[in-house]
Amino acid sequence: MQLSTVLNGRQVSLDIAPDARLIDVLRNELELTGTKEGCAEGECGACTVVIDGVAVNACLVLAAQVQGKSVLTVEGLASAGHANALQRKFVELGAIQCGFCTPGMLMSATALLARNSKPSHDEIRRALAGNLCRCTGYAAIIEAVAAAADEGGSAQ
Amino acid sequence: MATAFKYVGRSYPAPDALRKASGELLYGSDLRLPGMLYARLVLSPHAHAAVGAIDTKAALSVPGVVGVYSYHDAPSTPYCRYRIVPGQAGCIDDEMLFASTARFVGDRVAAVVASSLEAASEAARLIEVVYTQLPPVFGADAALESGATRVHPGGNLVHQFDHATGEPAALPAGAVTTCTAVHTQMLHHAAIEPHTCLANFDASGKLTIYSPCQSVYGARTVVADLLGLAYNRVRVVKVPTGGSFGGKQEFILEPVTAYLAMQTGRPVSLTLDREECIRATTVRPEQRSVVRSAVRADGVLLSLEVDTLLAAGAYAGSSPDYAQAMAHKLTRLYRVGRYRHRGRVAYTNAPVAGGMRGWGAPDVATCAEIHMDQIARRLGLDPFDLRLRNLVHPGDIDPITGRSVGEARVRECLERGAEAFGWRERAAMPAGPGRIRRAVGLACGAHKNGILSGAFPDVCTMTLKMNEDGSLDLNASIHEVGAASVVTLKTIIAEELDVAPETISAREADSETSPYDFGCFGSRMTYVCGAGARALAAKLRDRLIAAAAELLQISPMILEAVNGRVRRIGVAGSDLSYPEIVRGSRMRHARDMIVTHTYKGTSNPGSYCVQFAQVEVDVLTGLTRVIRMLTAVDIGRAINRGMVEGQCRGAIQAGIGSALCEEVVLDGAGRAGTGGFKNYHLVNAADMPPVTVLLVEHDGDDGPYGAKSVGEIATVPTAAAIVNAVNRALGTAMTTLPLTPERIVAALGKVAEVAEVAEVAEVAEVGGWDASCS
Repeated sequence: MQLSTVLNGRQVSLDIAPDARLIDVLRNELELTGTKEGCAEGECGACTVVIDGVAVNACLVLAAQVQGKSVLTVEGLASAGHANALQRKFVELGAIQCGFCTPGMLMSATALLARNSKPSHDEIRRALAGNLCRCTGYAAIIEAVAAAADEGGSAQ
Repeated sequence: MATAFKYVGRSYPAPDALRKASGELLYGSDLRLPGMLYARLVLSPHAHAAVGAIDTKAALSVPGVVGVYSYHDAPSTPYCRYRIVPGQAGCIDDEMLFASTARFVGDRVAAVVASSLEAASEAARLIEVVYTQLPPVFGADAALESGATRVHPGGNLVHQFDHATGEPAALPAGAVTTCTAVHTQMLHHAAIEPHTCLANFDASGKLTIYSPCQSVYGARTVVADLLGLAYNRVRVVKVPTGGSFGGKQEFILEPVTAYLAMQTGRPVSLTLDREECIRATTVRPEQRSVVRSAVRADGVLLSLEVDTLLAAGAYAGSSPDYAQAMAHKLTRLYRVGRYRHRGRVAYTNAPVAGGMRGWGAPDVATCAEIHMDQIARRLGLDPFDLRLRNLVHPGDIDPITGRSVGEARVRECLERGAEAFGWRERAAMPAGPGRIRRAVGLACGAHKNGILSGAFPDVCTMTLKMNEDGSLDLNASIHEVGAASVVTLKTIIAEELDVAPETISAREADSETSPYDFGCFGSRMTYVCGAGARALAAKLRDRLIAAAAELLQISPMILEAVNGRVRRIGVAGSDLSYPEIVRGSRMRHARDMIVTHTYKGTSNPGSYCVQFAQVEVDVLTGLTRVIRMLTAVDIGRAINRGMVEGQCRGAIQAGIGSALCEEVVLDGAGRAGTGGFKNYHLVNAADMPPVTVLLVEHDGDDGPYGAKSVGEIATVPTAAAIVNAVNRALGTAMTTLPLTPERIVAALGKVAEVAEVAEVAEVAEVGGWDASCS
């Protein structure tokens, strides 16, 4: 089937299998391997992308379900090669260790900041509850999201 | 007292942090090579079965399928996934590329290779294997009973040992003996990146393996030995690791992926799914230890005896060494006149046990520290006082190894940690009579710095080159697994040469181009490799000074290196910049500013950590919440402060899981990991308590600037501190981990006199050889 969607701000049209998962189309057809696969069952959040403003596990949706919608992946966060505030704060505040959960964390945080520009620490923890990290103990990640919010969110 | 450092002790991002945040960094499963094929494994659904005929017809008819492989075609040479160095003592060759007898649910029976992952997956489902089921044996105690099913022909006893120091002595009047049986569970490492490997065998006969492993030279050893290739025909390239925690330290996927690449002559990519990772890689071993002690009435430890029974699972792997490691922790933690540790390791039809963060130290600390709290309760002592009475002092000799524990600051960790946590005040507060009971617990732990033991080469070789602009290239076999080791080494070199860390570039290990290093094991990266990097940089600095002396026609004795320049000691404006020296020395004297240094670990002091936990337990539901933790770590020196704190917090995340919720459970048929993360619960951001990190810094050991290890030691006491807090909150004596709500509710039904409980703790669950307190 033909899939038309807005991906990272650009109109994309491609032929896909009707039963293809979004994560496979992103990683294999579109070569956007920033979206990671950790469990294939929506438990770890490594594959989180933002669909029409909502953080979604790309392993649990079919690519066909994003027909006509807007999809944002980690590759769409930087503009003209410049990291946005969230990405910068993740780097600066030690929120990244092995880095495998990082894209999913960034996307959940992006969806949070888009609907709540000044989240409390508890709101951040709840928004990231579906993203597992085995390295950091989460504290630096939560601080990074809070610091990005202080700088005006992910848009900058 | 504290030396002023220019670069050491600040906070730096992890290597490639920007590329991780942009999604640009390629991990193993992101790599694509021209003509690449995808592999899927067929894993045994039975815990114990003879593998008979394998019908591949339907699988081979799936479009895109290139081949199906099993023991019918593949070499049946046995090997050991844990052999890091050629001829490694203690390795048991009991595993094959494909099993002819399946020994656990998840054993490799066949592999399919196809042009797409979909085709490989479909074909794997269509393979029909005729199994003849054999009776399985679960549990190390059952495996060692006479007449038990043999997992391997030679019997189920893999390894045993009996280490003792000091003589048994008659107990003085008033001495108290206590016995505790503790069971710790199989754990999944739960790196978010699943296991992955990519291999390519080219027309020249060279095999290249891309792996997120912890030792490229170790992977080379296993693969080259198994497939009969010269060591320089197997190139292992370390690719970014999305977490390991020991899960990727043994060579699980490399041999089979390499074999498939050789058979097909094309690149082959193999990535496991989560269920396969839990079932078919390695787990932290399940073990039961009985701890017996004699203590003077004032709390001084007279003797400590531990009997450990550890399940290796279906293949021996690292389990013999793992069990041995457990016997080398407590005598570097406590002063005790008599210590004896007996261990037995048994095959079972369960997932293969392997190394995991802390390597026996968390396991044995959990046993010993739960035991110490039971002693404290029997004697009516504060757990803090009991520890302080017995902990080692700096310079003590570990009687088991005969080596110094070094500048051991565990007492300082305990005292400063207790004060910062408010231990006395919090410990004095009653747990309360209501539904929510609240209490605190503490525990201590000891670990190591490197692998100085004689059994392994604790050696790293590094090369450092300065370019004409003063920038530097470090060539070393670095294995970055999420602890920012690359940055640690750069920071040390920067400090030593007095140049900015950003001017140094360093790549990860590549067995073809980077010199030897043993690998990222044994908490040796900072202590051993870091010391090696410091010596290497000092060597280059000496060379720069000598070259400058030659250029200036003066004695090197009156020169010093400061701020990227060489000058007369104390004389400003008399200098040559590093770039001037590199260019001038090459032009005029044909000298290059490149040095190679081989460093060998010289000591192995203790690393120490003391942790304090406060918990709330809901006596109605049995649910436990950890509401605050403090970790005090004898780090010696924090090289990269932010990453040290990250390691400490991540270690606590994992430790809370092992105390309360993480467990690889086998069903009656021996199946583990069904449902993946759905049935394996990690602590998430919402459940993570606030953690205070207290670093005890000092000079005195051989690590760079006094630095010691952190990544492993920081998780050693966590589970015990939490279990002790829960037992204090409820008046229970639970010793079987994890403390699930079900276990807590059950224990509340049988709370008894503490002294009695300590004597008979869970005896009923522990049978067989010395595995009870009777």
